[in-house]
Amino acid sequence: MISHYLQRNGIPTTTISLIREHTEITRQPRALWVPFPLGRPLGVADDPDFQRDVLRSALRLLDTATKPVIEDYPHDAPDGGGDGVWSCSIMLPEPEVSDLEAAIRGEVDLLTPWYEEARRRRGRTTVGISGVKPEEIDKVVSFIVAIAEGSGFQQIPVSAEGPNWRHPLPMLVRFAVEDLRAFYQEAVTSQEGTKPPSQHDMHSWIFNRTTLGRAIMAIGHQIADNEDRRLMTMRGLMIPEGFWEGEVSWGELPPGMDRLSFIKSSRAYLAGEEAEAR
Amino acid sequence: MVRLDDLHPEEAAGMRAAVSRFGYIDQEATPWITPPPLSESTICLVTSAALHRRDDVPFRFGDSGYRLIPDDIDPNDLVQSQVSVNFDRTHYQRDMNVVLPIDRLHELRYAGEIGGVSALHFSVQGASPDASTFEAAAADMANRMKELGVDAALLVPV
Repeated sequence: MISHYLQRNGIPTTTISLIREHTEITRQPRALWVPFPLGRPLGVADDPDFQRDVLRSALRLLDTATKPVIEDYPHDAPDGGGDGVWSCSIMLPEPEVSDLEAAIRGEVDLLTPWYEEARRRRGRTTVGISGVKPEEIDKVVSFIVAIAEGSGFQQIPVSAEGPNWRHPLPMLVRFAVEDLRAFYQEAVTSQEGTKPPSQHDMHSWIFNRTTLGRAIMAIGHQIADNEDRRLMTMRGLMIPEGFWEGEVSWGELPPGMDRLSFIKSSRAYLAGEEAEAR
Repeated sequence: MVRLDDLHPEEAAGMRAAVSRFGYIDQEATPWITPPPLSESTICLVTSAALHRRDDVPFRFGDSGYRLIPDDIDPNDLVQSQVSVNFDRTHYQRDMNVVLPIDRLHELRYAGEIGGVSALHFSVQGASPDASTFEAAAADMANRMKELGVDAALLVPV
């Protein structure tokens, strides 16, 4: 919708579209639909020629279109979307839940050399969404384990004090999970020349092959047991559909509510605004 | 990929519900604007990936504001406060340009295919339950773009 608002304020726009049905309904001024997975609007990492061709195709509409248009990009991503071609070449122990903290710290220790190699080679890391520095990843482990073991969603566990956490609770839990996932994912994609995992490959590995996945599921159970049903929105944002024990990750919606109205009703609470207002 | 039928049925249902609410937009109210020729146009990026600098104010859940990303940003200074779990992050984790193609824009400028690259780019948090909340931010972004000499914007979703 932003394309409409920008044009109404005098800025011409062209848009890359990932979901064709959305673009057909919203009728943005100029759109290039690309047949790539969500999260990959330029197609594929580390392929400047391919990315440049996508970019050029989207920009060219500024020169050629004379009325609202949806053009289809003719090429699939070079990796074909990538489903099923990846397997993790770093051997981790079997996931276990008897001592979550020790098991996750063991995984982090095994992954650290690979993470550091990826960080050195790429010159960057995406760890830090929650506010932690990459060097403070041990505090993220403490935080996630404490939440998984029932410390609640109202205050920072004592064991996780120290970092400059930059999101309020409860949503901080979701970002801490993402930070630890980023650490794991950057580590296991560090090897050059290997096929990158698809989104589904990555979810499958995290939730089926790592103790981190077991901890995220334990947080999902803590949410299910919590009196405040609004936390279910956060579970739906943390555990992908298809990975929550055969049921819908978002859980059963309150009577009379659809998912969007449920998200809206829980937004201020999850963003910490209700707690701040008190 | 990606048609809604390719996604998990629950995920697709949520996205269909979201888009069904887009009907309120009066598309006739959006004027057609012809920009200068591309080879003379300065381009800026608008990403919905909730990217921001590490020391910037993070996007909160449902945040309808925007953040500025300097064109010469150190890629290590970018983090992503996007809440959805239903999109691929691994390619972005390997290469910023798969989501925010700043380096590719400069290559097109160097080749003379575009006229220039904006000194600042713009970031919003997509996956909002109500896209109309972006109306005020977009008006402000448009004013900033004019101050920057931007001739056209490329919107990049995730």
